[in-house]
Amino acid sequence: MLSAMGMSSMEELFADIPAEVRMTEALPLPLPQSEEEILADARRLLGANVAMGERVSFLGAGLYRNYVPASVFQLVTRGEFLTAYTPYQPEVSQGMLQAMWEFQTLISELVGLPIANLSLYDGSTAAAEALTCCVRVHNRKATQKDTVYVSELTPPDRLSVMNNYCQGAEIKIKLLRHHPDGTLDLDAVAEAAGSCGVYVEQPNPLGILDGGLSEIKAIIGEHTALIVAVQPVSLGLVEAPGHFGADIVVGEGQPLGSPVTGGGPIYGIFACSKTYLRLMPGRIVGRSLDVDGKVAYCLTLSTREQHIRRHRATSNICTNETLIALMGAMHMSLLGPEGLHALAVRNMTACILAKQKLSQIEKITLPHSNSHHFNEFVIELPGSSKECLAHLDTLGIIGGFDLSAWYPERKNWLLATFTDQTNAKQIDLFVSHLTAWASSQEVDA
Amino acid sequence: MSNLFEFNGAKGQGYSQPAPVLPESSIELPASLARKSLPRWPRLSEPEMVRHYTWLSKRNFGIDTGFYPLGSCTMKHNPRVNEVIAQIPGIADIHPHQPEHHIQGLLAIFYEMQYMLEICSGMDQVTLQPVAGAQGEFTAVRCIQEYFRLRGDTKRTKVIVPDSAHGTNPASAAMCGFEIVEIPSQADGRIDLEALRAVADETTAVMMITNPNTLGLFELDIVEASAIVHGVGGQMYYDGANFNAILGITSPGLMGFDAVHFNLHKTFSQPHGGGGPGSGPIGVKSHLAEFLPGPLVEQRAPVGDESNTAIDNMWYGWYQPKHTIGKVQQWHGNAGAIIRCWAYYRRYGRGLKTMSEHAVLNANYLRHAIHKATKAAGVDSMVRDGAEAVVAKHEFTLSLAPALEMHGISAMDVAKGLLDKGYMAPTVYFPLVVPECMMVEPTETESKETLDEFATHFAEVLQVDAETLHAAPITTPVRRVDEVYAARNLCLRHPYDDE
Repeated sequence: MLSAMGMSSMEELFADIPAEVRMTEALPLPLPQSEEEILADARRLLGANVAMGERVSFLGAGLYRNYVPASVFQLVTRGEFLTAYTPYQPEVSQGMLQAMWEFQTLISELVGLPIANLSLYDGSTAAAEALTCCVRVHNRKATQKDTVYVSELTPPDRLSVMNNYCQGAEIKIKLLRHHPDGTLDLDAVAEAAGSCGVYVEQPNPLGILDGGLSEIKAIIGEHTALIVAVQPVSLGLVEAPGHFGADIVVGEGQPLGSPVTGGGPIYGIFACSKTYLRLMPGRIVGRSLDVDGKVAYCLTLSTREQHIRRHRATSNICTNETLIALMGAMHMSLLGPEGLHALAVRNMTACILAKQKLSQIEKITLPHSNSHHFNEFVIELPGSSKECLAHLDTLGIIGGFDLSAWYPERKNWLLATFTDQTNAKQIDLFVSHLTAWASSQEVDA
Repeated sequence: MSNLFEFNGAKGQGYSQPAPVLPESSIELPASLARKSLPRWPRLSEPEMVRHYTWLSKRNFGIDTGFYPLGSCTMKHNPRVNEVIAQIPGIADIHPHQPEHHIQGLLAIFYEMQYMLEICSGMDQVTLQPVAGAQGEFTAVRCIQEYFRLRGDTKRTKVIVPDSAHGTNPASAAMCGFEIVEIPSQADGRIDLEALRAVADETTAVMMITNPNTLGLFELDIVEASAIVHGVGGQMYYDGANFNAILGITSPGLMGFDAVHFNLHKTFSQPHGGGGPGSGPIGVKSHLAEFLPGPLVEQRAPVGDESNTAIDNMWYGWYQPKHTIGKVQQWHGNAGAIIRCWAYYRRYGRGLKTMSEHAVLNANYLRHAIHKATKAAGVDSMVRDGAEAVVAKHEFTLSLAPALEMHGISAMDVAKGLLDKGYMAPTVYFPLVVPECMMVEPTETESKETLDEFATHFAEVLQVDAETLHAAPITTPVRRVDEVYAARNLCLRHPYDDE
């Protein structure tokens, strides 16, 4: 190939790189490996990890161990999907374009809003982009300029993402108070009227389903966006936020179609009403026609995006999570409405059964026991949740999430999670070990 | 035509689910919480679902389908062993909140990837958290912003980008709150030092630039550009979109950059998945390391019980940089993508330089082969190089401006003609500085035969008359799609009968 170009060495191809910036030493990295050696090393290293499935696990807190049907994996690894890129040439990308248009519809129906994009990076970036989006839309009429209100219960890692995304536009994030029972203080919401948006989660980060959220829109009015983050599986039982006035719905799509995968790649859901369409982030597929009048799909409304609008774009997002969204679409297609309902029932009943049994343990209390929960709830222990988790770990149980990581004063709060993958035996095991551990604790006066 | 929303078969039969642990009647949601009507989703059996998505897949073009010379996107082969590895429960079934002693193997791979990227880029510290190239840009610019704030250097409000930059550069810097100063490039897309000198001052925070540039040419004056920006107290940012061209040959660190992002999915072959996922780690010099999003992975000798779970007698743990900007993704980035990219890098190991050499060899050879083939076919007057240069790097640009002037054949016409030949078209109309631009990137995983055949077919397309090319493609699942119609008659979801 070199000689065809009239060259005699590879070096000639790099003659334009000045000597002063050349690497002079070989890279201090391991020797090249064969496929078999790499696979063996991967199995050795990843095999040293404790997969949740090897244990009895009650860890959730935003990501939920689920079952992804076998056909989803089989189909999503078809090379035509897996090895494609953004469908810039629609004539040869109809498969992914149609699949994403279908995804938009599935999400739209799920959350009760007319428009959905084809994914953002994760739930946190979807939430953060929702905040900047609502300021773009509402700031002109807002009496509290550049201001949004966010639930004080929002996990700090998510709030941190929001802060990073909002600081550039000088958006002020104010926190919304909650009652001791974990429900939102609607008097606090009244203070948010006139701001650009209100962000809450349903279920909230403590697993609480808060019926009061359905009253927010009437309190804040049409010029303040109601943004609701959801666990999408819950929507098989719980009212879709679009049906109680939400303007933007976001969420971690993961429980529909994707394994937890260490926290990524997963996909962020972003859906909204028409008001936000031209100022929303992310790619959107539209249905169109080809020159023969045949139904055809293509990316549309691209003038919002960075490759056209550059520094005036609504977001910098380019690469997104399309393939994971495709897994979500496949899972939703298999579930159908009744399958989604059944899946939600499995999740919720696991939570109810656990709550019934755990509430009977002496020395353990459930601070929000009067609320309805989805997937998870807080257990107040007679000792530190950190020590409890360490103890359960020695028994082969991943006992949940130590809430002092979010709320440092809550040293004894454990967030335990129950999903469609939780069975009654596991709950019994959890109860018996927690009972034994609790009885061994000295309760502080 | 398979329409998902026309499937309305048996209820809940797509796959069988176990019974719930309690009867549904145990759920007593009040009216304020209960859903009144389920989503109007279709109802498919598994065979119907499998056929629908198989049918869709056959209407989609991937690298597996054929040559995919999409410039700037680095569409190299995706080794399948990487997919097998990503399904190992030790990554697929891992929760990011699991304790360190549960994930020593994962952290060891993260640490190795941080180290490998530091070595290859000449940076001092890498974070793997950003999940896409654009997010990496945003993250790095945020770190630089906080660096200046901590120093009380509040006058730095501007970010300089060349007009040939990827759109994400100005978009990411603007998201951080910076004012964008765009400077003109020279005709070959290379940086204009005079234009840079004219705008660089004490208000300059960052200059963002990619090297090789978006025309596939190495920035000969990069050291001087770095000196100009550093001279006014600004920081140099390397857009790693084109990193595939230079591994083991030079590095952003050697060129004077302070921060860099990596498009891991491009350089290290995470499948692009129809638009994502990606992975966009960043690396920085030591003065910026304390600002990185955390947690990062560190390595040390195990203490006490730790030796039970240590990997090769090393313990891996998370730590937070002192002045961290916080998080840009809620978890630990796209861990599954990082694992695949680790597997790709391991295939080359210390020989990563050969990866870049072959990428550059293939690009230059294809450029040569296209010129040769068009000359042999007598159509060489219709196409010229997008920029004058003896050698390109991993990609090159062509201009179809002569074809447009002579015959009314545009770059888009040629792109559509190539679709009919069974190829994905190169990137068209970017960068904007080249009229009727076609940007071609073959990558290192293509054979000489594939490149020769493509060159021949490219010349054949140029021999097709304008009228026929305007009508191309004709062999694809649909023909030219009316994007204006799509934008004017917005149909963004399935129209249900009652709507």
